[in-house]
Amino acid sequence: MSNFSRRQFATGLAFGTAILAAPSLAFGARPRVVVVGGGAGGATAARYIAKDSKGAVDVTLVEASKRYYTCFYSNLYLGGFRNYASIGHNYYGLAVNNGVNVVHEWATSVDNGAKVLKLGSGGSIAYDKLVLSPGISLKYDSVPNYSPEVQSRMPHAWTSGTQVQLLRNQVINMKKGGTFVMVPPPNPYRCPPGPYERVSMIAHLFKKSNPTAKIIILDPKPKFSKMGLFTAGWEKHYPGMIEWIAPDTHGGLKSINAQTMEFETDLDTFKADAACVVPGQRAGTIAQSAGVTDGDWAPIIPATMASKADPNIYVLGDASVASSMPKSGFSANSQAKVAANAIRGELTGSRVFEPRFANTCWSLIATNDGVKVGANYKAGAEKIDVVDKFISQGGESADVRKATYEESEGWYKGITTDMFS
Amino acid sequence: MSRFILTFMAAISISVASIQCVQAENLIKNADIAYGEYLAGECVTCHRSGAANDGIPNISGMDADSFVYILQSYRSKELENKVMQLVASRLDDEQIASLAVYFASLSSK
Repeated sequence: MSNFSRRQFATGLAFGTAILAAPSLAFGARPRVVVVGGGAGGATAARYIAKDSKGAVDVTLVEASKRYYTCFYSNLYLGGFRNYASIGHNYYGLAVNNGVNVVHEWATSVDNGAKVLKLGSGGSIAYDKLVLSPGISLKYDSVPNYSPEVQSRMPHAWTSGTQVQLLRNQVINMKKGGTFVMVPPPNPYRCPPGPYERVSMIAHLFKKSNPTAKIIILDPKPKFSKMGLFTAGWEKHYPGMIEWIAPDTHGGLKSINAQTMEFETDLDTFKADAACVVPGQRAGTIAQSAGVTDGDWAPIIPATMASKADPNIYVLGDASVASSMPKSGFSANSQAKVAANAIRGELTGSRVFEPRFANTCWSLIATNDGVKVGANYKAGAEKIDVVDKFISQGGESADVRKATYEESEGWYKGITTDMFS
Repeated sequence: MSRFILTFMAAISISVASIQCVQAENLIKNADIAYGEYLAGECVTCHRSGAANDGIPNISGMDADSFVYILQSYRSKELENKVMQLVASRLDDEQIASLAVYFASLSSK
């Protein structure tokens, strides 16, 4: 492949289709992109399309929350390494610095034929291209007897916000020598190392103020992300505190009782003094109602992140089937840039470059003991393929682990600047 | 200051004397800044302008020759950092030069 064709992915073709796809261009109006969801995928897509098109594209972001608390790093708040305010962000930069029309409403449905997004208020917004980055919805019934009604007794805390604050409060106030039960979700789910970083952060709190407390993990999965690194870290920092029980040992969760705080399995009935239950997940509801999902998630064309079901809709982040990429904020941010480049090219004829994807997930096990896993990816015909990958090694020096943690701090500032500035 | 940043600073000073500067000059002459801006999307998830070197260095406004030398050193694994070695592993010399010219064009503030 020549350098020209590698760099310039499909400009000629894209410009041809742009005239057909965006009739508003013919009348001199700006093409319209509407983005639903102001997280790592949506905020990045809105910002890059607006910034890079220099006003040539009319960009609207629909996000219900006026203040966005990141899911990534919410575990560090839980462990006391961050205050809550420091993981909150607003949309000032998108609106003021980038000219994005920020609409704080719920997106309720999509009229795919008319290319109109309907809002909770009853209003609607027309689009030429619609970007859906709604994150996840929880499948409460994936855990027997778990429901929104009992989530304050056993927080999932998996979409940041109040639930994480509540969980921290329950951990801090758990009775001395009590038992904490963690139920991680089945695959696939948002943030693969997240449940195990969360256990690490809870153990970190217990070690300081409740050292005889126990943590029991009732996992529906036989293995998990960074398993060797986490288990070695738990032995080193929290010996005897954490018991991970595999599904072939506990035999599956038969029922939970939020009143008695009991978890019934084939192996035993575990009585908790505090708990975190993270149920199974699916694409955010708007992806379902837009008709772009197949089962729980939305299949995409890897080169552009366009939906396989509707060429005018793009799906980013957790809601998409972006395998081999994990569902992470870093992945969503990376996918948003690929989609932004493709969308802008199609609507304005700008240069379209070859898609490139990357992800790194940092996790904190204890103070200054950070680990990371990462990969870069390319668009295959059917899926996003791994090009190369790495993972932190067992037995790394304390200096390396500290530098990894410091790197994650830099990344947090970097990605939130990249999303919101 | 972390070892990573010390290594990074050392690499910048070495680069001035390096014979590789000649190669870098030729690459930089032919660099494609718009392509560099696109490729930079992968960098700015972590590296931000105006930052002190808080765990991840600020690369905005970096001299292009130093940028090329450092990325080539990560690619050859002479510089340590798993993320940077991975990033550099799939960048060819032209892509590195495009990135270098783009970041050199930015203000460091």
